[in-house]
Amino acid sequence: MAATAKKKVKNSSFGQTVIDGKNVTKIFGETVTALEGADFNIRAGEFISLVGPSGCGKSTLLRLVAGLIEKTSGDLTVNNEVVTKPRTDIGMMFQKAVLLDWRTAIENVLLPSEIQHRITQDDKNKAMASLDLVGLKGFEFHFPKQLSGGMQQRVALARLIQTGANIMLMDEPFGALDEFTRERLNIELERIVGELKATTLFVTHNIQEAIFLADRVLVMTPRPGRIAKIIDVDFDRPRDISIQTSRDFNIIVEEVRDTLGGH
Amino acid sequence: MKTMNFVISFLKYSLSFVIVLGLWEAYARYGGLNELFLPRPSKIGDKLYNLFFKFEIIEQGTIYWHFFATLAQMSIGFCYGIIIGNTLAIIAAFNETFRRYIAPYAVVFNVTPGIAVLPLIIAWFGFGWESKIALATLVCFFPPFINTLTGLLKKNDEAIELFQTIGATHSQYFWKQQLPNALPEIFAGLKLAITTALLGTIVAQFGSATEGVGILMQRFAFRLDMAGSFASLVTMAIMGLLVFTIAEVLDRRIVFWRDTKGLERVSRKKQRKLSSND
Ligand SMILES: Nc1ncnc2c1ncn2[C@@H]1O[C@H](COP(=O)(O)OP(=O)(O)O)[C@@H](O)[C@H]1O
Ligand SMILES: [Mg+2]
Repeated sequence: MAATAKKKVKNSSFGQTVIDGKNVTKIFGETVTALEGADFNIRAGEFISLVGPSGCGKSTLLRLVAGLIEKTSGDLTVNNEVVTKPRTDIGMMFQKAVLLDWRTAIENVLLPSEIQHRITQDDKNKAMASLDLVGLKGFEFHFPKQLSGGMQQRVALARLIQTGANIMLMDEPFGALDEFTRERLNIELERIVGELKATTLFVTHNIQEAIFLADRVLVMTPRPGRIAKIIDVDFDRPRDISIQTSRDFNIIVEEVRDTLGGH
Repeated sequence: MKTMNFVISFLKYSLSFVIVLGLWEAYARYGGLNELFLPRPSKIGDKLYNLFFKFEIIEQGTIYWHFFATLAQMSIGFCYGIIIGNTLAIIAAFNETFRRYIAPYAVVFNVTPGIAVLPLIIAWFGFGWESKIALATLVCFFPPFINTLTGLLKKNDEAIELFQTIGATHSQYFWKQQLPNALPEIFAGLKLAITTALLGTIVAQFGSATEGVGILMQRFAFRLDMAGSFASLVTMAIMGLLVFTIAEVLDRRIVFWRDTKGLERVSRKKQRKLSSND
């Protein structure tokens, strides 16, 4: 088993810094410190997992990067530009699929294109390809309510791909799904993100999932929300689910547990 | 199989209807009913036949004229009502101040029986069509107002964030998410409005009128013509059923995503449309 878990040369394959946070702090109201003094530096093409118990500021960090909320202090840049509002090169996926019930799968996937301009045949072809990529060929004309929870999240992923955003923010996207569906989607997500070479920030409170997907894991602790540790994960890609039982993998699991356990 | 089931249930309903009418008729013929209170079905049937097929004239018009006049007054009142109700709802949905200051009035207004202001309405609008339309408008604008407002205010933080991240404008959010998302409530409001508009119209006709099914009913009742009164009642029921069915069908067509059947129908249609394009 451990044979599949070869180490590779440490993170040399990533490009320059895409997301840069220095001492980022977010205080809600006067008293709730959701995120305190967060330093992070994310490079092009990297897959970053954010793991930690609920309330430790994972969603807050994501929404700060997305430009959905404003930081209280610190510096935060995306592609060397200060984040002030949402931008179309950043796409987002939520715990809920957030699909429009009155639109078929493909019409939902086309939504981002439609917001930007009139739909072209190119957009339609691209939407078909996105649905194919997430394994929904043949379901283009199904409505959300005709699809299972896992398939709805696949549509949401196809919609995210359709935006063409090269930074993807995912807030517990598979958190509401059952264990089997979640595992299968994780494997496919690993494959898809690899193909797209997008920079990804992935929030989860499942340690295995976080490590399996990530190039680096940001371990966060609550009260106040902090980045406690950043751990490198150097398994070759594409990854096989069997690495989860390897020794190296479990060493990392222990490291994450230790970091979280101290809090 | 489906049509078979339909035929069977149709037969069952018809049979139970015939049995009830038969018992009623038999009891009346046996002399058990004071027909000054409740006329026998065959007499009501005769009266309906005279009204609809012999073109009996009441107050200068056939039943068709009274039917049409009521339908027209009701429809105009209904249109005003839903325009006013929905406009107020949209303003209230986007303007917190307006919502805060208008809501108490709306509630007081709603608990005041609208029908009771008929004398005032007649004083303001006279004895013509205007007073019927005005009362219909008055009693029917509230359901669309409150339902549309509820629909537009449905909490949807995730959808807002999604639309923000894909760079949507406020108006794109309104047209592509907020409004369609409110359609089930909007239609619920319309369906309520349609029946209350009919009620308002007919009550206004009781007050004073030269045409309408309300006036028909009143004339017959004053003459103690019970068969005629009941025939008017049946006519009103037919009218109510007619407008409600139209609303129901529109609702099913437009808000198709509420039930599985609608979803399957539209899904198939869209698929066919694509394959015929290729
Ligand atoms: N809009 C908000 N207003 C006030 N407090 C908030 C808001 N959003 C999050 N918080 C608080 O900030 C803290 C971190 O929240 P969040 O980032 O959602 O955590 P996580 O996603 O890790 O579960 C929590 O204590 C939460 O209650
Ligand atoms: Mg969260």
